[in-house]
Amino acid sequence: MSLALHASVPAGPGPMVKIVDLHVKFGRHEVLKGIHLEVAPREVLSIVGPSGSGKSTLLHCVNRLQTAHRGHIWIEGVDILAPGVDVNRLRRKVGMVFQHFNLFENKTVLDNVILAPVKLGLLPRAAAVARGLDLLRQLGLAAKAQAWPHNLSGGQKQRVAIARALAMDPDLMLFDEPTSALDPEMVKDVLDAMKDLARGGMTMMVVTHEMGFAREVSNRMVFLDEGLIVEDAPPEWFFNRPQNPRTKAFLEKIL
Amino acid sequence: MWRARIQQCLLDPLPNGLPPGWRMLLDGLGYTLVISVLAVALGVVLGTVLAVLRMSRRGWLRWPARLYADLIRGTPVLVQLFIVNFIVFASVQADKWLVATIAFGLNSAAYVSEIVRAGIQSVNPGQMDAARSLGMPGALAMREIILPQAFRNILPALGNEFVVLLKETSVVGFIGGMDLMRMGDIIRSMTYEAYVPLLSVAAIYLVLTLGLSALLQRLEGRLGWGRER
Repeated sequence: MSLALHASVPAGPGPMVKIVDLHVKFGRHEVLKGIHLEVAPREVLSIVGPSGSGKSTLLHCVNRLQTAHRGHIWIEGVDILAPGVDVNRLRRKVGMVFQHFNLFENKTVLDNVILAPVKLGLLPRAAAVARGLDLLRQLGLAAKAQAWPHNLSGGQKQRVAIARALAMDPDLMLFDEPTSALDPEMVKDVLDAMKDLARGGMTMMVVTHEMGFAREVSNRMVFLDEGLIVEDAPPEWFFNRPQNPRTKAFLEKIL
Repeated sequence: MWRARIQQCLLDPLPNGLPPGWRMLLDGLGYTLVISVLAVALGVVLGTVLAVLRMSRRGWLRWPARLYADLIRGTPVLVQLFIVNFIVFASVQADKWLVATIAFGLNSAAYVSEIVRAGIQSVNPGQMDAARSLGMPGALAMREIILPQAFRNILPALGNEFVVLLKETSVVGFIGGMDLMRMGDIIRSMTYEAYVPLLSVAAIYLVLTLGLSALLQRLEGRLGWGRER
């Protein structure tokens, strides 16, 4: 297994993520009906679509929090749906930020950030603390290191969640509606943090309803409808010249 | 008249060379506490293991744990105490307090497993998702994230289990254990006097259980990370 492979290996950069014919069923209901998708290294991909279209399900398949029913997903060349794949090793390199933050409620902010690197033996505790504090500082949370999650605002919680994911030094970041549960005045802080990350060259897959963010930050947008990708274009094309009638109808409703 | 009864039952040395009643009750109280504390500790450890097994994805781990809980909860604790004493420990010389501790610990584990299971289910599933998304193995996530939160949520129920157990241990006299209840009964039979020893025993149990409840309430407030919802 060579999940540590970086995009800059001499063989030439393959896709960071490659998804072929992905199907997911919940009981008899098919949520994803054959997704084909590639994400290049350093690409920021926004995934949009009406609720129930399968956006979150698709994202959860990429780190195997959701079990796929059929199809293939390669991350940095490794087939993550193959039997015997070390799923915990895969997840170390794929960070995830959740709609409802999911900060560990029994840990302080700093412990949230350093828990996994320390417990998985990736960093000595002192080094993890130093790195954790650095990440928190970058995200404007230096003063909150010793706070408990329940004393933070939603925007602060989500930035801690981003710091927690980044502490694993991931190659790919998944964002599942990261601003949907936030009060409007909190949204900007989180989006700014994500912009910084994108500028730093992080590969990102972002399920979002923030069309402004999608237009401004992402290189590419896909529109998911009823379990299929029906539009796949750079943002300016996506917003100005959508090809699929369902994309047009969706954009008319939200813009 | 009451003064004389108290004098006879609690303060004077009892017949047959026995120490005064208060001494006997104190010894008995010691046994009751040792048995209850150790049994509840055993119950929590075993019960947690059972709870985790019961929630396993693997059927062959799940059903023995379930069967155990059903067997224990479906039979009287006195029968279980007798089985442990007269069958399991039939040919082994062991102190009665140890036999009782094991019997009540095994009994308590079944009830605690239900409590812990409910506690684990009360933890937001997002907590496990987040732990798994960081590459933490399930056991590590359980130990670091899920169980600490589960235990905080079930602390009142566990305290209640301890109170129940404390009272239930009053049957260990049946296998010859010298607990608080048994001591009171010995005083009664030695003095032909029922009121003072039995009401004393009842009062001591009451102080213990009420004191314990108050203690648990304070402990609960101490765990600062708790959700305020």
